[in-house]
Amino acid sequence: MNMIETKNLKKTYGDFTAVEGINLHIKKGSVYGFLGPNGAGKSTTMKMFLGLTKPTEGTFVIDGKKYPKNRMEILKEVGSFIEAPAFYGNLTGEENLDIVRKILGLPKYSVEEALDLVGLTQYKGRLARKYSLGMKQRLGLASALIGKPPILILDEPTNGLDPVGIHEIRTLIRSLPKKFNCTVLVSSHLLSEIELMAEDIGILNHGHLLFEGTLEELKNAARLKGFPTENLEDMFLAMIEEDNERGDSRR
Amino acid sequence: MSGFLELKKVKRTGLWPAVFGGGILAALVPIINTAVRKEVFLQMEGSALAILMNENWQMMAMLNLLFVAASACLLYHTEYGDNAIQRMNTLPQRESKMFFDKFFLLSAFCLIMFTIEGAGLAFSAVHCFPGDGKILRDAAINMGYAFVLILPGVLFMLLISAACKNMWISLGIGVICVFTATMLPGDNFALSLFPFALPFHIIPGAKVLAEKYMIALGGEMVLGILAAITFFKVRRLFA
Repeated sequence: MNMIETKNLKKTYGDFTAVEGINLHIKKGSVYGFLGPNGAGKSTTMKMFLGLTKPTEGTFVIDGKKYPKNRMEILKEVGSFIEAPAFYGNLTGEENLDIVRKILGLPKYSVEEALDLVGLTQYKGRLARKYSLGMKQRLGLASALIGKPPILILDEPTNGLDPVGIHEIRTLIRSLPKKFNCTVLVSSHLLSEIELMAEDIGILNHGHLLFEGTLEELKNAARLKGFPTENLEDMFLAMIEEDNERGDSRR
Repeated sequence: MSGFLELKKVKRTGLWPAVFGGGILAALVPIINTAVRKEVFLQMEGSALAILMNENWQMMAMLNLLFVAASACLLYHTEYGDNAIQRMNTLPQRESKMFFDKFFLLSAFCLIMFTIEGAGLAFSAVHCFPGDGKILRDAAINMGYAFVLILPGVLFMLLISAACKNMWISLGIGVICVFTATMLPGDNFALSLFPFALPFHIIPGAKVLAEKYMIALGGEMVLGILAAITFFKVRRLFA
């Protein structure tokens, strides 16, 4: 069963097409890696799922609920972290999470739980504006994870973290489907991260979905096209290059 | 419940000191004015509160409006400053609800300020006009009327702040509106309905005029609420 499904989802800004008719299928209880170079349309797609930007065309369904009709029901089920950490700088980490907790109607212990999950318990009493970049990133993740939502949408969650932090968050994300019966849509431009976290992959370039499937299927597709298959980075770069050349010739 | 959330968000913003500081500063206006010009006031005709309101309310109203402008900008700067509003928009709550919670919070702050100012007026009246038995009642009526008249200004200032991501733009617009209001002729009824001009009015002697203002105020509030709801809906559509 697909937790998130899109049908010809499109987003244009004037004459610029950010996302071009994509059809995503994100299975329930899986980690789906959303890959693409900068400006490919990953964040735009995720923003559409959260109602931060309105699709120009197409539809999507999240856990059987259609947007925009069931927008509030969708948001009740989704924990998200988009682009950069979003917080109240004048409040402590704990106070920031408490605001989210109250809006979601969660019990008081959810805050401690979320802080513990991301390793911020020690710094919960510090003002958010005094956090380092890594701490802000962890706060954003805690805000997404609070209450263990059934769906997580994470946009480059390991940005700004040190290698130890990256490993911690990656391990956490990988464990979420089994531990909390959670479906995770995670985007990254760190291919090695996606390779270690995700079961299914979607590759986006200039708003087009170039590939969707498992890593094994990606390797087979790359082999058929004569692309290098030793590692994901080479496969990815070859696919992007081919698409860019195709795009240039179209123009 | 969610009104208390907005209260939590203003921690460490300086808003609480501004409420009490602003209220005390405005309350000092009649106290100092009375201390310096007591003999002049005693020769004027009218009730104690009417004289004090006539002589002091313009300055007090200006301070109140500047507080409203600055506070409304600050309430939305806490949302836009570190992009907290993006997180709020991904939670199951409507942006218009957050707006109205901020409106109720800012109105509550204004009520606290008016209570302090009313105490200042009453204090001045008691010391300048001993023997006037209706001071407390008149102070309460005047402050109640003033509180109601400032509500459209609060609503529209919050709407301006919600629309402008850059706090300095909304603050600039607010300050311009406040000073424009001071330049409008007071005897023109239509112009006196400008939301930032309303708070300068004191309770008129004629009951009919007071009723007219209340009806107009009700209309402005309805318009403001509809404008806010429409604005958030349209902003979402074009996001």
